Amino acid sequence: MKRWPLYLAMLPALIVLGPLFYGGLAAGLGRSLGYAPLIGQTELSGAAWRAVLTAPEVRSSAMLTFYIAAISTILATVLGVGAALLMRHRFAGARAARLLFQINLTVPHLVLGTGILYLFSQSGLFARLAAQMHLISVPADFPALIWDPAALGIILAYVVKEVPFIGLVAMANLQAIGPDYEQAARSLGARPWQAARYVLLPAIRPGIISSAAIVFAFTFGAYEIPALLGASHPLALPVLAWQRFNAPDLAARPEAMALALLIAALSGLVVWVVLRAGRAQRRLS
Amino acid sequence: MRFALTSALLLLSSPLMADTADGDALLALSWDEIVAEARGGEVNFFLWGGADNINQYISETIGGILADEYGITLNRVGLTDTADAVNIVLSEKEAGVNDAGAVDMIWINGVNFRTMAQGGLAWCGYPDLLPNNALVNWDNPAIANDFGLPVAGCEIPWSGAQFAFAHNSATLTEPPRDIAALLDWVRDNPGQFTYPAAPDFNGAAFVRHVFYHVAGGPDRLLGAFDQAVFDEVATETWALLNDLEPYLWREGATYPASITQLQTMFANGEVALSFEYNPSQFGAGVEAGLFPASVRSYGLTDGTLANTNYTLIPFNSPNKAAALVLQNVLLSGDAQYAKAQPEVWGATPAIEVARLPQALQDAFATLPSHPSVVSQAELGMAALPELQAEWIAAIEAGWIEHVGQN
Repeated sequence: MKRWPLYLAMLPALIVLGPLFYGGLAAGLGRSLGYAPLIGQTELSGAAWRAVLTAPEVRSSAMLTFYIAAISTILATVLGVGAALLMRHRFAGARAARLLFQINLTVPHLVLGTGILYLFSQSGLFARLAAQMHLISVPADFPALIWDPAALGIILAYVVKEVPFIGLVAMANLQAIGPDYEQAARSLGARPWQAARYVLLPAIRPGIISSAAIVFAFTFGAYEIPALLGASHPLALPVLAWQRFNAPDLAARPEAMALALLIAALSGLVVWVVLRAGRAQRRLS
Repeated sequence: MRFALTSALLLLSSPLMADTADGDALLALSWDEIVAEARGGEVNFFLWGGADNINQYISETIGGILADEYGITLNRVGLTDTADAVNIVLSEKEAGVNDAGAVDMIWINGVNFRTMAQGGLAWCGYPDLLPNNALVNWDNPAIANDFGLPVAGCEIPWSGAQFAFAHNSATLTEPPRDIAALLDWVRDNPGQFTYPAAPDFNGAAFVRHVFYHVAGGPDRLLGAFDQAVFDEVATETWALLNDLEPYLWREGATYPASITQLQTMFANGEVALSFEYNPSQFGAGVEAGLFPASVRSYGLTDGTLANTNYTLIPFNSPNKAAALVLQNVLLSGDAQYAKAQPEVWGATPAIEVARLPQALQDAFATLPSHPSVVSQAELGMAALPELQAEWIAAIEAGWIEHVGQN
């Protein structure tokens, strides 16, 4: 019996992806160019794109969003890979440690964000504890970690949430490689850190870079954490896009669409550059 | 065969199966026929869901009446921003969904009503169908106009609301009682005051109070949008609010994102003053243990903003008959009385109490008051009218550009 052609097998996925994803993208592009028959706009115009690309607030929002995504991704990758390297060893309570490490994956971002709000805000649990222990005179003296210009609360939420994700990918990669290479390196005289640095890390690098790229793209485009924990200015790009989308004036909607597409383009660009750089380096080594 | 087809068609066109998305067909029916159409159906009511007591009133009190008396299932859909529901209807219209929309009714007013009117998204022309519409005084301009825009049969009034401030009388005995005194008080008490960033509804309303103060009262701002007057008043207002920033919470570097955040900070004593367009929330907050019992709400001697809020049926609601029944129940004297009770909601009725049976009039007259909620009589002595939507949108956008991003 002949096997089904590959494209036939992919058809269900394409049917879903085609209209919903690419169709939505095309509709968004149309709206960003001012195509809105409902309020009598059928002529295409670049006004929304011009407004979005020249607005100073969009520039400061883009810089903030890039900063949040970059710092969160770097911290989560370093901590996640470190945790995976530690957890490949056998130790008492290893199973429990792995479970505790991964359980966080099931917690929605919104729930985690609310939890961080309760713990770290200036009227939160830690502020009250610090005041009770006379470390500070009133809870409001607690350092501003939430709704702060440095976006510490947002970064904290993303790091807590993404460390297990990166760690899980790294652990799976390490498991696939098995202990042989590391043992060979050790028997040839490598110290434990040298075996990890020169043997294990290069082997799991592609998987780490891909998962870091996913984390970057997600933190660049996600709305809920910066909406919950961010300062009122500058707003993260997704929050700014949502605000424009909800503006009572229908004429502001093309700008919201242009912003949303800008988010996709910027994060796509960064992910492309990172993946390309990763591949080029692999060819060199 | 032909007989089977005909009877199938008859069955499809019988009242029980009628499609109540067709508003024109409903307009030709009597009230009893509309109730018969609605029976056994459901209605999706989209409304701001940020207050537990209001949610409970809708789901249990109103939902109970609909279920028991009409067999209608009420689905309450909570929103953080009414614009979300407007966007659903708008996107449906763009996608050509003209008779199967997700939204059957929205709690709405102001700029969101303007958007619905601008996009032709509201079903209009039905108020006379409702028996309880007789309780509404449409001759009152504050009811016939929603933020200056004529209602024109596209909305049914639900409640009145008036803005009030609040303080904790245990820690602050004498709060500032007009905007000028408030601004002085903020400068004398650094870090003790802030307001939610526009476009938050209550934050934008606070900014309008300052705008009125700078303009010397509302008189020059009423009527159609006037760019020259706006520019003059706005320049001075933004300068004043920017000069105030060093004295605000966190030196004005950031503002709370929502009224809920401001109320949490007020409850925690992070700020000494708060406000809300619905002062009954301070009583409900005390009852819920959120605020200390010593919280008091109060009006300003130079007046606070007052408005009417409404319910609206989108043009593409598939359950218009059930939505009409819901609107009629909401307007009824009993439901308006339940809503006026301080422990339920404390909302001002949108109907003329004098048109109710004597027993209900007496009940309204003897409503208990909550010590934390300023009385309507006291608040109503100095009420400020809301501006037309163009003014409100311009003030919001101006604040974001010149104060919020500064």
